[in-house]
Amino acid sequence: MTEILAHRRIALPQGPAVMAAMLLVVAAGLSLLALTPVLFGHDADAMSRLVLVHSTLPRVVVAILCGAGLGLAGALLQLALKNPLASPATLGVSAGANLAIVVAMVFSPALLDFGRDAVALGGSALAAALVLSLGARQGFSPFSLILAGLIVSLWCGALAAILVLLNERYIASLFIWGAGSLSQQSWHPALALLPKLFVLGALSALLIRPLTLLETGDATARALGMKVERMRLLQVGLAVSLSAIVVSAVGVISFVGLVAPAIARLSGARRPAQILLWSTVFGAGLLWLTDEAVQWLAGSMREFVPTGTVTAAIGAPILLLLLKGMKTRPRAPLAVQRRPHPARGKISARQRVLLVAVALIAVIAVCVLLGRAPNGDWVLPTGTALRDVLDLRMPRVLAAAAAGAMLATAGVILQRLTGNDLASPEILGVSAGATAGVTALLFIVSTPTLPLQLVAAVTGSLLVLGSVFLLARAGRFEPERVLMIGVSLGALVDAISGVIAANGDPRAMFLLRWMSGSTYGADMKLSTTVLVSGVFLALATLLMRRWLDILPLGPETAAGVGISLGRASFLLFLTAGGLSAAATLATGPLSFVGLMGPHLARLLGFRSARAQIWGGIAAGSGIMLIADWLGRTLVFPYEIPAGLVASLIGAPMLVLLMRRRG
Amino acid sequence: MPAVPLSRRHFLAATAALGMSLKPAQASAPRIVSLDYGLASTLLSLGITPIGVANAADWSTWVVSPPLPASVADVGDALAVNLEALTSLSPDLVLTTPYLDSVTPAIEKIAPCLRLSIYDASGGDVLPKAERATVELGQAVGREREARDFLDRAARHFEACRQRIARSPAPAVLLISVLDARHARIYTAPGLFDSVLHRIGMRNGWTRTGQYWGFETIGIEQLAEVAGPDIHLIVFEPVPRAAIATLRESPLWRSLPFVERGHFAILPETLMFGMVNEAMRFAGQMADYVEAKR
Repeated sequence: MTEILAHRRIALPQGPAVMAAMLLVVAAGLSLLALTPVLFGHDADAMSRLVLVHSTLPRVVVAILCGAGLGLAGALLQLALKNPLASPATLGVSAGANLAIVVAMVFSPALLDFGRDAVALGGSALAAALVLSLGARQGFSPFSLILAGLIVSLWCGALAAILVLLNERYIASLFIWGAGSLSQQSWHPALALLPKLFVLGALSALLIRPLTLLETGDATARALGMKVERMRLLQVGLAVSLSAIVVSAVGVISFVGLVAPAIARLSGARRPAQILLWSTVFGAGLLWLTDEAVQWLAGSMREFVPTGTVTAAIGAPILLLLLKGMKTRPRAPLAVQRRPHPARGKISARQRVLLVAVALIAVIAVCVLLGRAPNGDWVLPTGTALRDVLDLRMPRVLAAAAAGAMLATAGVILQRLTGNDLASPEILGVSAGATAGVTALLFIVSTPTLPLQLVAAVTGSLLVLGSVFLLARAGRFEPERVLMIGVSLGALVDAISGVIAANGDPRAMFLLRWMSGSTYGADMKLSTTVLVSGVFLALATLLMRRWLDILPLGPETAAGVGISLGRASFLLFLTAGGLSAAATLATGPLSFVGLMGPHLARLLGFRSARAQIWGGIAAGSGIMLIADWLGRTLVFPYEIPAGLVASLIGAPMLVLLMRRRG
Repeated sequence: MPAVPLSRRHFLAATAALGMSLKPAQASAPRIVSLDYGLASTLLSLGITPIGVANAADWSTWVVSPPLPASVADVGDALAVNLEALTSLSPDLVLTTPYLDSVTPAIEKIAPCLRLSIYDASGGDVLPKAERATVELGQAVGREREARDFLDRAARHFEACRQRIARSPAPAVLLISVLDARHARIYTAPGLFDSVLHRIGMRNGWTRTGQYWGFETIGIEQLAEVAGPDIHLIVFEPVPRAAIATLRESPLWRSLPFVERGHFAILPETLMFGMVNEAMRFAGQMADYVEAKR
């Protein structure tokens, strides 16, 4: 490996050019292979020539243009943020654009006829602003920024999913949109893209000189009279516009923006000008090659495969490889932990506990008792009607409460363990593993009964957990690395489910429901299973509270008091994994409760590990209960899954809280 | 006879339960909830108005005809039937399909279920399966004669359509729903539409077999692969407005032989995953189309 790298260094000037030439030759070769029968074949008729001219060729051009735009956007972001993991996909920019378009598609289709680009741009700019403001709190550390980007991506995805669920009619088109298909029927999209990308590319080229200056260091650049912050903002703005235009034209194509600059750097591009140029070229080549391969594969499998899902599936393992080479910074102690607790009126600790308990009981009472009649009226049932309703509601209420409590506990563990208050079980990839298990099940058996779903979900979670451990072992369980591995595996799983969904398979609807986290399937047996495993694992967590109190103070402190970091991390990760896998069974892979619970607990004044766990349990189950109740009653007789409702109310709330504290 | 032992067992259990639970006064109008559009419309044709239908809110988007009486309650999404609403309707019988097997156990605790299999992994031509399911349904709800009459009526309708079409060489058709400006869903064997085409002496221009629901998702340009001089294109509503506007500007779309020659029509909504009623509606649409193009 070192030999290869050394060789690359010697070949520095030609490196990127040789790589690019190889990539483009292979892509062009595949293109030609597909075109030959039409160009030179004897049986080529007018129709296949027409397809060549109006579909095949524009598709090649669109692939090249979009790839170039994404590659350039990725390079700009990576240079601006000095973060090799930055890209339109990992910073939530693409997801933001996508959500904006989906919202417009459902609520105001006319808006899209006039200004599709503007809609996409608005969405991606908002997402970028959100991610950057979250990342700014943690000094733009590479991992925190990407985690913030991921959270925003997940949230945008959750919101888009609700819209899809409630508008089944649009489902296939929305899925295809989200999955990034490059299929073309005219030159119009290609010709519309060309000038936009050209202008943005030219503007980026103007940045080369200031960027080169920036490479010497912010201080030097400032001394030479450069407005460093304004410069960064300009770069990010250009990148956001580039990705918005691509999303607006073909949908979300993830990871090209991440991988192209990485290849550029690996093949020897060093100066900003080189990185920008070669990232653009590699982006174009990559997407072209991928799309040719996709068409060839789709042809032989007779399936509809959107190119975007394939780039995601290829990109996730590459992100893993990049992570291997990344140095994690030594963990800084959590600033929040040391800040003195602000005076909160005259409420004593005991009164606070009492208040929280009373509030939780009130929430449970409302969730169990208040419901709606078939004609839509709000009712408090009595007598036999109450008994009927209790039979139906109790398992769901129990499952929601248990899952919320478990996710929050897992969140407390992960946040304390990693010293990163954006960590959460949703991000560990365990939940995604459960989803993958169920997806696989749908294709193995024709009737996925509940017990089978449970087995599949647990198997999937354990497989992901196992791979996270195996991959992380090399890094001695460095927490950020473990989280990022989880993220990448999660993205991989999402990509695979995306292919099924975009294919318009009716199973997609089932899968979508499952992923959006409804307590609908919960019966007494499931609820008790989740509850019992929750109690057991929460007790285990409480036994490990000393580790959780000391670990946030930094590895040196921990080692100083005789804690074996490797063993403690392993056991805590295992517990967090178990907690989130069991909770996923009840409320699906997405909810953000694992993220919100610990923060709410701390905000309510529960600060030691033990207090935070109890506070988290109360907050987590409270949020989940309210989400489940809202989901059951708001659009009666239809339902919005609890997981989606939780993420919808929770994520913005979290952002507000964090902004206020930061 | 139905080859699936499971559906037979369910059927017998449901019939038994129904017989026991029906009071004499109710016997003429059993309280039935249908979780499937096709079964609900079949029920209407047998002279029974269901008390509840899943996804009733979207009936007018997908099924249209026969219209759903206003008295029918909506019981929520078929894959997440509102169990509380279902309980308070206290039905005698709930009609389900294999697609809904994941929710059936929960529903069986509330009311007996009858599971009728039309679209399932066993594959096979859909129309005969829908006809068998109609007979089964008629037996289960005490409307055997009505079911027989209904199927006779359907057979006569198909035969009439076949004769109307046979007056000239019938074109082959491509049947699609437009998803957006670049993608479509094309209806294939072994789906309902394909099955009906055979019955009325027409040919599906798309020869590849799809999954057991009988469709495939394609890029619009793939339509050119099968474009021949005697192939017609049928697009079903609902069509996204923006999509059709974009398509009309696309040179590829405009030069597809069927668009160029006007061998092309946008027809009203017809449920592609339906049963005999929907098959009749589709057959009628085809006969009308062929006559109009003659």
